[in-house]
Amino acid sequence: MSKFLKAFLFASVIFAPFAASAVTVASWGGAYTESQQKAYADTYSDPSSIVFENYNGGLGEVRAQVESGSVTWDLVDVLPGDAITGCDEGLFEDISDEIAANAAPGPDGESMAEDMENNGLEYHSGWDCCVPQIFWTYVVFYDPDAFPGEKPDSMADFFDVEKFPGKRGIHTWATGIIEKAMVADGVEPNAVPTVLEKQTGALDRAFEKLDTIKDHVVFWSSGSKPLELVKSGEVVMAIAYNGRVGAANLAEGENFEYIWEGQVLDQEYLCLTTGAPNREAALDFMWHASTPEAQAEQAKYITYGPMRASGIPIIVNNEPWGPGGVDIMPHMPNTPERLAVSIVSDPQWWSDNGAEINERYAAWMGN
Amino acid sequence: MLLRSVDDSQINTVFPNTFEEYKKWDKEKDELPPEEVYRALFEELAYGDKIQVGRALTRMNYSKSGWKSLIKKTSRAIKKAVKKDELPDNYKDFLIEANEKWADPTYWYAMGQMVNNQTSIYYWNAIDRTFDQELNVVQQEEDRRVYVQTWLKTLKVSIYVTVFCLILGFPVAHLLANLPLRYSNLLMIFVLLPFWTSLLVRTTAWIVMLQQKGVINGVLVWLGILSDDGRIAMVYNETGTLIAMTQILLPFMILPLYSVMRVIPKSHMRAAQNLGAKPAMAFWRVYLPQTIPGMSAGGLLVFVLAIGYFITPELVGGKDGKLIGSWIAYHLKTTLNWGLTAALGAILLGFMLIFYWLYNKIVGIDNIKLG
Repeated sequence: MSKFLKAFLFASVIFAPFAASAVTVASWGGAYTESQQKAYADTYSDPSSIVFENYNGGLGEVRAQVESGSVTWDLVDVLPGDAITGCDEGLFEDISDEIAANAAPGPDGESMAEDMENNGLEYHSGWDCCVPQIFWTYVVFYDPDAFPGEKPDSMADFFDVEKFPGKRGIHTWATGIIEKAMVADGVEPNAVPTVLEKQTGALDRAFEKLDTIKDHVVFWSSGSKPLELVKSGEVVMAIAYNGRVGAANLAEGENFEYIWEGQVLDQEYLCLTTGAPNREAALDFMWHASTPEAQAEQAKYITYGPMRASGIPIIVNNEPWGPGGVDIMPHMPNTPERLAVSIVSDPQWWSDNGAEINERYAAWMGN
Repeated sequence: MLLRSVDDSQINTVFPNTFEEYKKWDKEKDELPPEEVYRALFEELAYGDKIQVGRALTRMNYSKSGWKSLIKKTSRAIKKAVKKDELPDNYKDFLIEANEKWADPTYWYAMGQMVNNQTSIYYWNAIDRTFDQELNVVQQEEDRRVYVQTWLKTLKVSIYVTVFCLILGFPVAHLLANLPLRYSNLLMIFVLLPFWTSLLVRTTAWIVMLQQKGVINGVLVWLGILSDDGRIAMVYNETGTLIAMTQILLPFMILPLYSVMRVIPKSHMRAAQNLGAKPAMAFWRVYLPQTIPGMSAGGLLVFVLAIGYFITPELVGGKDGKLIGSWIAYHLKTTLNWGLTAALGAILLGFMLIFYWLYNKIVGIDNIKLG
């Protein structure tokens, strides 16, 4: 055996255990994962033990890993609908007892679940397998220079192409848009999920409203696109992930205005894969990443709001919290007055109806 | 994976008794299934494995939206009752009490799709068909019909792209094969550089070129050919998809053509002209037939790649950007409807085999050459 080979084998025996003990977190990449790295991993007791890997969302890869028995992702950062399905299907492990015992309580001793309920959230089965991360939101934004006179400030304006001529940028799937169309059609934002669930014909109403802007729409499918569309003047207003708009305003010196009315808040969870190779270490990281402090910390790097209610006062009381000494709350989606005109997307309803609505939306787009 | 397109056994292991009893239900006679069905469902939900039920839920939701929360809410009520040891006297009343949807026959009709270990529903779904309550194949509700139009669009785009690649690629390959080496090498670099560039970079570059406030429109407006309001929409529609895909797939046409043309002796054309053919005739009768192996190889390559394309169309295609590949990816990753994914994939494979067969009939598969 050559010397080199011996050395190689020796090294692999020595280093293999270390390599294996790194907790792999699958997340969305880009500025979002960067903010997780800084807020969660860098503040963790052993930062080097956390490795982020990019994926594009959805449970397809998780299911493939779990079914084939070769799990490489310990934790997965998912949307609430996927947290629910993953937990129901056993792709994520039910750790409700561990969460109850180990998740950091809020400042007044409230449990993590109570802390989330204080933020207007409702229990769903994803809570059994996952810990909360942040709120992000589908928000409409525009460049004020595009409107020399009156500026749009409501969903009705977004859907009114006569009052505010010009193209609109919207995404190629239905989540978020359906709710906005309902608001434009006169439904109280907070009532939208109930109306969608209970009222027959509510969806038809949303699609009828969408028809009114159909000829004035540019569709986008990747998160950076709406920013480019508005910047280049291709559209006058667009729906975007608020974190992207926040980054453009804070880091790139843009001056975009938001229309907070009718913003659609969605949740983000960190879930433990069934059969995760580093289960214990992953759990420990979960407890760290779900503390109110860590969630508030993340707001320093991206304008997404803590899902735990007790994370918000940490930011408010310590302003300027943002990068370079700017106040971050003006860019955050979940201040009380903004929440009053917002929709909190109902993951259970979307998980029931999403596939069907997305087909209908695609048919609407294509015709 | 192909087996998944017809397999429905998982859910049958979760609700065996329910389905057994369900089959005895006379839909003509009774509006709702008999008590035994409700009872079997109650028991299988009460004592079933939570994860297996969870997996079945995902499946059930494909047959009708709303199954997921219906079963979950019902399960909670059932488990509560079982825990308190309060088994109902009438299971039907109990379930309807727990959720009024159990009195809605449409849920029960949807269950009919799932009661066998094999199913053809995914194939029917993939062409906008579904089952009615008697399990007859009927058209999908009108506002949900997306797949047939997507199939047609995918075919159309692939055929157009192949034809455009051929039209654009042929002269380039000819130049490459016939120019002196120092020019042809330079030209080859122009072909290969984009070929080696990342797909996303090239796609984004096309957006910059084509958008309404983009380079091409800007130049045209500056030259006064277009008015400022008359900018052409060349991207976020089908035009954009065709332009970008053609450019991206062009090297797959040029390279096989080039390698075939390179070995066609130049003396053939001279001989033809010597024997009295005009240049056009010599080209048509002597040169072109010899390039058929290259055209076939390039055409097949481009077509096969184009029919499964989805990233570029999604980025530049706007509302027309969802080709069948997008749907396969969507169901694979987001809805987890792997049955439908497999059915769509199988149909796509079928298409390719048909084209291959046609091609073999018309051109002959031995006539394919990469040089």
